[in-house]
Amino acid sequence: MSSRIEILNAGGYRSDGRRQYELRTINIDLFPQGSAADGFATLSHGLTQVSVCVFGPREAKLRSQTFHDRANVNIEVGIAAFSSSERRRRGRGDKRILEISQTLKSTFDPVIQSSLYPRSQIDIYVQVLQQDGGLLQACINATTLALANAGIPLTDFVCAVTSGVHSTSPLLDLTLLEENDLPNVTVAVMPRSGKVSLVTMETRLHVDRFEEIFRLAGEAGKIIHAEMKKAVKDRTERLVAPMQSLGRPATGENDY
Amino acid sequence: MFEFTSFRRPPETFSVSSPDNADADMDEDYEDFLESGETKLTWPGESLTSAQDYMRGHGTYVDNEQVIASVTGIVERVNKLITVRAARTRYNPEVGDLVVGRITEVQPRRWKVDANSRQDAILMLSSVNLPGGVQRRKLESDELQMRTFFEEGDLLVAEVQSFFGDGSMSLHTRSLSYGKLRNGQLATVPPILIRRLKSHFISLPCGVDLILGLNGYIWVNKHVKQNEREGEEGFDAEAVYSSRNDEIDESTRAAISRVTNLITVLVSHSIPLTDTILLDAYDWSLEQECDP
Amino acid sequence: MRPPSPSIPEREFLLSALKQNLRLDGRDFLEIRPIQLSFGPELGWVECSLGKTRVLAHIDAKMVKPQPERPFEGVITIHSEISPMASSEFELGRPSEEEVTITRMLDKVIRRSDVVDKESLCILAGQRVWHLRLTIHCLSDSGNLLDCACLASIVALKHFRRPDVEVIGEEVTVVCSNPFFVQPLEPQLDYLPSLQHEPTSRAPIPLSLHHTPYCFTFAFFSDASINPVLDPSLLEQRLNEGLISIALNAQRELCVVQKSGGVPLEPADVLKIVNFAVQKAKILDTFVESRLREDWQGRSVEVR
Repeated sequence: MSSRIEILNAGGYRSDGRRQYELRTINIDLFPQGSAADGFATLSHGLTQVSVCVFGPREAKLRSQTFHDRANVNIEVGIAAFSSSERRRRGRGDKRILEISQTLKSTFDPVIQSSLYPRSQIDIYVQVLQQDGGLLQACINATTLALANAGIPLTDFVCAVTSGVHSTSPLLDLTLLEENDLPNVTVAVMPRSGKVSLVTMETRLHVDRFEEIFRLAGEAGKIIHAEMKKAVKDRTERLVAPMQSLGRPATGENDY
Repeated sequence: MFEFTSFRRPPETFSVSSPDNADADMDEDYEDFLESGETKLTWPGESLTSAQDYMRGHGTYVDNEQVIASVTGIVERVNKLITVRAARTRYNPEVGDLVVGRITEVQPRRWKVDANSRQDAILMLSSVNLPGGVQRRKLESDELQMRTFFEEGDLLVAEVQSFFGDGSMSLHTRSLSYGKLRNGQLATVPPILIRRLKSHFISLPCGVDLILGLNGYIWVNKHVKQNEREGEEGFDAEAVYSSRNDEIDESTRAAISRVTNLITVLVSHSIPLTDTILLDAYDWSLEQECDP
Repeated sequence: MRPPSPSIPEREFLLSALKQNLRLDGRDFLEIRPIQLSFGPELGWVECSLGKTRVLAHIDAKMVKPQPERPFEGVITIHSEISPMASSEFELGRPSEEEVTITRMLDKVIRRSDVVDKESLCILAGQRVWHLRLTIHCLSDSGNLLDCACLASIVALKHFRRPDVEVIGEEVTVVCSNPFFVQPLEPQLDYLPSLQHEPTSRAPIPLSLHHTPYCFTFAFFSDASINPVLDPSLLEQRLNEGLISIALNAQRELCVVQKSGGVPLEPADVLKIVNFAVQKAKILDTFVESRLREDWQGRSVEVR
């Protein structure tokens, strides 16, 4: 089906009207609608939408899952049956879901300063609402935002982006259509140090091309970071403004 | 579906070749702020200042000789100490804080109490007042009938007594003003919105009492007369550990709901709660003659 | 139940040794343990060992009806089981995290990177295709099961020969009924079933493979002074704070790059590791080819 669609036409436009290096619209909602979560984020990259709730740090449910020197980070991923064009229910034991949650866990384990909360548990629930390419990217970005909102100490943001290559032209932020057709790589960067915490590629690609799109994705991660930062800043401003206008809180309260 | 994607063309686009400088104003110099007194917001991974001149406090870490924020919130400075207070987070207990909690588990000689913190708090049997006099030895029979004092699901008001080695808090209810809660309704708010006040027991003139737990749990209940609360010499154990609500008349019920709803509204605009604000809001809402 | 982690002195010892550029088994940081490939009597039966890690891969083929949406393509399925036999950390039934990683990675390396030309497995469009079943048994785990399993599977695919068929109209005749037909010279294997050979039987034919990817796993540690370690041993695997697995072929084509979380790396370091894997893949490829050739020369193809 996809072979009939031009990935990149002669005018340099992609199937959804974007240019080569253009990212999709990023929509971020950080205000939960009636959720009791400590941190919440809904993020969409174009038509891919992911919602994340963070609970905790809170009392661990199972004593066997506690660590005496750090918090246990528990991540559960759900993919809604209606999220893709082909309706498909994925159970909790699905290999793909397990892989995503394991990837998220190992991505965020070194980022969360969990040693500050011994014997507690941090629960992260990821719900995929719409899929149109860049699923892992959206999951990572939304989880970062939800964690930052929950006031959980992180060493840095983690910003992920996909990038692919069409014959010799690199593309950024692929849709599902492009993702199915092109070799693509997902890269998660930590903007402060510029280090890479996640790289995944699942298609055949020459080493030299890989290097090109790998570097490109690293650059694009910084743009995503600016967007995420802006959203966090706006929310914090809205939360803090009334408190400031009504007098500063007494010192020593709610400190760590 | 593909046309659909193109319809949703981004009104504003972010491209790598020409990164917009939206974040340029956010990276302005923190040094200036540290000298001035204005509010500064920060988020994880943001470099605050050099670690050589300042000390790192809560909500920050040091990397490469830089003090870096690890939580989203407000930067605060006390002399050379830089801390970041999170805009939203769980309750961080301190000794002497008044908290409202809920019993989650009855264990040998102790209760576990959910107090909106990172771990459940612990209330030792030795830290509660027992029937039959304030000062008396704990008996084995007390251990056996712990559920008659507090059982799972009970709400209580207590004070943070101390911390255990792993950072979890120990509570006590060794005062007549602490103990089991009844005749009212619970409101849950972000703990940062509860200010440290002279007294966290507030009596509104509308016949409603409030207990503002520093952990963000607020108990709104029917007014208790001063002498009743303090009790007689004999410390009425029946009343203290009773789980039954008193008769509450309709106007008091309406007032309790009104206050609870006001709290919800104020909190949704993240307005910090104090007795004066609540009272003003209550009067205003009565003037508007709207139903709670 | 979490598996008990290595004791603190063991960990300290390993880390301090690594800091002094020493590995506990005396290898260089970027050295793979000796690889042994042994082939069973049957074609497509390969036992691969990396040091003390051993994996057995086996392939069999049978004819099935193709999937209706892909009438011209054969089917490949991968069955992997990491039983408690490999290591006491594995449980039967419930897949551990490591097991999920290994199965997903094998799936990506073997199936999604298009190793086997699936269309060449078609016998009669929409009617009959070959179904290849790759079974992987982990015999013992002493670190880096993934690379070992990938190598075993790839070599098994290269070693395997499928029976030849003859299609006359709608009729499909297997002209070489069983890969057992090809027998090694060893005399003790005379228990093999004696087959009724057709006078027209032909030698079984190898699978047509697009490329042969090899997988390399590097472990790294949060201490920046420790260099990445290729082919982690069991202790290194349990204590590392990040893994990067790279699957690529000798033609400098990457198939899978997988670094899911763990300690963040400089982009330049990632590229350095990738380029190193390129060289290793070439060496490994020549080794595998020569071993396959040796084995093939030792077998006689009885065509009457």
